[in-house]
Amino acid sequence: MTRKTGTGLIPGLYLLLFFAYLFGPLIIMVITAFNSSQFPRIRPWECFTTGWFAKLAADDKLLAGIGSSLVIGIGVIAVAIPVGLAAAILLSQVGPRLRSALYTIFIAPILVPGVVIGLSTLIFWGRIAGFLGLSYKSFLYDGTFLTILGQVTFIAAYSMLVFLSRIQRFDPTLTEAALDMGATPTQAFCKVLLPFMAPAIGSATVLAFLASLENYNTTVFTIVSGSTFTTVLASKVRYGLDPSISAVAVIIIGATLVAAILYESWRRDKARRLLPAGRRVPAAPADLWLAPVRRLTHPAFVGAMLAVVVGGSIWAGSRHDSSACEAQIMENKRALQQQFMQQQAPASPPPAATTAPVQAPASSVFAPSNLFSSPAPEPAPAPAQAPANGAFAPSGLAPSSEAPAPAGQQPAPASPFAPSNLAPSQ
Amino acid sequence: MKDFLGIRRFFAGLVERNGLAVSLYLTAAVGIWIFLLIILPQLTMFDYSFHHNLPPAKVGGPEDVYTLEHYRYFLRGSGNGSAYNVLDMSVLVRTLVAAIFVTVFDLVICYPVAFMLAKSSSAGRARLMVLALIVPYWINEILRAFAFRILFGSSGVINEFGMAVGLWGSPIDFIREDVALYAGLAYAYILLMIFPLYNAIESLDINQLEAARDMGATRLQVHTKVVIPYAKPGIASGSTMVFMLTAGALAAPEILGGPSNLWFTQIVYQWFNSGGNWPRGSAYAMILLVVCIAFVLLTMRLFKVSIGAIGR
Amino acid sequence: MTKEVSLDHVWVEFENFVAVEDANLTIAGGEFFSFLGPSGCGKTTLLRCISGFQEPTLGRIRIGNHDMKGVGPNRRPTALIFQNLALFPLRSVADNIAFPLEVRGVEKRERRRRADELLEMIALPGQGDKRIDELSGGQKQRVAIARALAVKPDILLLDEPLSALDLKLRQHMRTELRAIQKQVGLTFIYITHDQGEALTMSDRVAVMSRGKIQQVADSRTIYDRPATSFVASFVGENNAFAGTVLAKDGQGITIDAGLGVPLVAALRADSGVTPAVGEPCHLFIRPEALVPMTSGSPNSFEARLVKEEFEGHMRHLLLQAGEHQLRMSLVNNGLGGSVAGADGRLTVGFVPELAVALPLGLLASA
Repeated sequence: MTRKTGTGLIPGLYLLLFFAYLFGPLIIMVITAFNSSQFPRIRPWECFTTGWFAKLAADDKLLAGIGSSLVIGIGVIAVAIPVGLAAAILLSQVGPRLRSALYTIFIAPILVPGVVIGLSTLIFWGRIAGFLGLSYKSFLYDGTFLTILGQVTFIAAYSMLVFLSRIQRFDPTLTEAALDMGATPTQAFCKVLLPFMAPAIGSATVLAFLASLENYNTTVFTIVSGSTFTTVLASKVRYGLDPSISAVAVIIIGATLVAAILYESWRRDKARRLLPAGRRVPAAPADLWLAPVRRLTHPAFVGAMLAVVVGGSIWAGSRHDSSACEAQIMENKRALQQQFMQQQAPASPPPAATTAPVQAPASSVFAPSNLFSSPAPEPAPAPAQAPANGAFAPSGLAPSSEAPAPAGQQPAPASPFAPSNLAPSQ
Repeated sequence: MKDFLGIRRFFAGLVERNGLAVSLYLTAAVGIWIFLLIILPQLTMFDYSFHHNLPPAKVGGPEDVYTLEHYRYFLRGSGNGSAYNVLDMSVLVRTLVAAIFVTVFDLVICYPVAFMLAKSSSAGRARLMVLALIVPYWINEILRAFAFRILFGSSGVINEFGMAVGLWGSPIDFIREDVALYAGLAYAYILLMIFPLYNAIESLDINQLEAARDMGATRLQVHTKVVIPYAKPGIASGSTMVFMLTAGALAAPEILGGPSNLWFTQIVYQWFNSGGNWPRGSAYAMILLVVCIAFVLLTMRLFKVSIGAIGR
Repeated sequence: MTKEVSLDHVWVEFENFVAVEDANLTIAGGEFFSFLGPSGCGKTTLLRCISGFQEPTLGRIRIGNHDMKGVGPNRRPTALIFQNLALFPLRSVADNIAFPLEVRGVEKRERRRRADELLEMIALPGQGDKRIDELSGGQKQRVAIARALAVKPDILLLDEPLSALDLKLRQHMRTELRAIQKQVGLTFIYITHDQGEALTMSDRVAVMSRGKIQQVADSRTIYDRPATSFVASFVGENNAFAGTVLAKDGQGITIDAGLGVPLVAALRADSGVTPAVGEPCHLFIRPEALVPMTSGSPNSFEARLVKEEFEGHMRHLLLQAGEHQLRMSLVNNGLGGSVAGADGRLTVGFVPELAVALPLGLLASA
């Protein structure tokens, strides 16, 4: 039971594993965004490319989805924050019995499955519209409107939890003091309680926006015929794995990290400035040494550094041209394919040869191309190493893992992966 | 009448404390939320699930009568015979079992982390760990599922690693085996398990742990006899949230689920979307909701915790 | 501008107990008035009634002849200093002091001018831009007072404002509070469970117990001529003897307190209700009223010395007399020496004027 001090060997290892589980998938996803391979993967590595980002920028559907997500996010914030705040304040003012009853109702939308909220929102407002005799063009049938309502249902509960944890630390005598000094109840609310809640309003707003942006389960029902950032992403993922999705992740992870670093440096700076005068580190010689370090951790400096790093990588990325490398890879693939065809020609083609290209995207289906990840492979030994009937190595089928694997139907070669494993190390 | 007076007195109390304008805002905001967003839509959906699936023109007409056909369908399927709808029921059971499995898995892997976070790391390190826990949570749900798709694909890192080390000879289809799905779901709700656990353990006086050790308890006993009983509300809160969200998940099963294994929410979505039968979708959604809530309440009764613990 | 406050048969009842029972008194304008009592005696409830956070169940509260019924705390001419001071942590010192002006719509420059003036008064000039958490305990105290005075209230209510301070500062603030009160000339109503604070600062003190006001008088009367057994036992140290009245005449009252000898307490014109002959009663003798006497003197009895505690300027003796344990305090005259004989026995006694006889009543639990 070590107090305060660090962790022993076993807990340390455990934490390492835990955070590997937490970050490993994200890191791998980020790396795949820079591989020119048509399928998101790390190996075999083809070319370093920033082309997937360019593809994103040209994706009109995704951009439209982001646009509508922004509108929905702002709408959700505008409704969910006041509602959550009101709920938390009400809870702090009622007696214990009513309080626990209300709390149960307020917390329910977090637990109710998103699909239930989505479907019920859709049905309820459809009924209201039907009752009012409104046409399908009315806003009650509008995807954006319905999605805002559906999301507010549970996001208001999230923001209520944020407000509740803050309001529990509020000293109610402050309100009484304000009243005693002549403030009206409304003034006491606006000048004492609201300023106290301000930081929570900030964090609840961020939370609400992110929750709105990433929601799928409810949105997929309520958006009706429209789309949001998340529903576009989901349909992209369902219609085929594509490294441009990884590129989206890179952008989001990058933005998250930048925000986290900025927030942390801002918080530290504030904590340091809030130290009571007496406890501030005196201007001892040590302090003079520390001064430059402090300036380095100043939020403005950190912000500027981040701007330089992010701006620099975008600039460098936009100038990076991997087309030569990719052309080379294509060339190799074509050469391999031709050799392969020539080999196949005399023999009667196995049934797999006809089914595979249909089931998988043409550009990446041919396994031989995947066997070599070095930009300048030696084409000659490859056919020799790859047995004719085993040429459709499983790696070649990867793009559509649900497709029946013809290679698997055939007796597996002793070591079908040997070539792909050996090639990069040559 | 008595209730009405009670409400009036309640509102008068609010006005005295907050002034008229603020009281109106409080009651209006909360009233809209409770009635227009929470209760009425659920009731409407409940009502809707007892209607036939009719074209708009016939709604409200003579054919629009209450029926149990959608619930009957869930039990009996489309046939008129005595056969049960084994397909849908087994999907529901499998969804619940998988959700329980994911919940237990999350509880097991998160408890040590929450404990270390709360009791054996310095303030600075704990802050950094909290930040590290939150950051992955800001990444879109779809993208997290996508990451697991890449990880567990047949040419993914796990397969490459397993085969390179020689653990298995040919690539395992983790997607079909639902391993990717369970790993992805467990990943998605880690944070919802850790924070309630952390909040519960954090308030435990460290002296109690040392006292227990001092009186001869082993490290394991300290946990089973002191920490876990104390953290019970947190465990209940975290487990309930993870269970409900897992059972209600839709995105992860769509992306990571095997081709033949459906999640119950996917059936709801199918009835709504391609099936074009909203009342039946509503009935299925109600079934999911009722079964999940009943299960949670039963479990909480079993472990003697109150619903008020959730969200703390 | 000072106004008197009158409580007219005020009762406050909560769901299952009576917090204030028939409080009936008038506090004069410009008076420093204290409510003294143990926690839970109802003094804070009474204060909340005067400031308007609590409506009395029965009775009226008048401030300067205006009935306060239905008047909210923000519209009463009172200012309350809270036990925890309730300074707004997010506002600067000056903004705290100017808050009452701000909610009254006073223009910004004027607010700042008034705040600076008040800072001057509480001896914190030029500290207006500091944050609250940069101040020391005593400074916060003074800021709270300045804030309460900013709107020139008629009555200042103070709810144990010194309880969070350490002993030295508390004693210093007593003098300072009294000085501020003299300077501004307002009615101060002070709530405390600390009798030292109440007795040193107040013009008059009301001692409360279990919702009832026991006695209202100046400090000296409270100490020397307590009206009830509770007051006698709560204020200061006292030896209490339960007994029976043997005789009573114009000068004194003779009591059998179970010490083997009848003891006499003087009766004075201002003695309140006294027990009748044959009735049970309490006899109170303060430790400092007990003195060593020669055996056989009137009003003296035999005792055995159990223990002596030395406190510098005082010597406290713990004595056993019959069934009673009692305390005796002697001023340390520097000569030392034991007051008891070799067998540990001694004779102690008192003059009748320093003893008080009261009807049997509830004592303050130690």
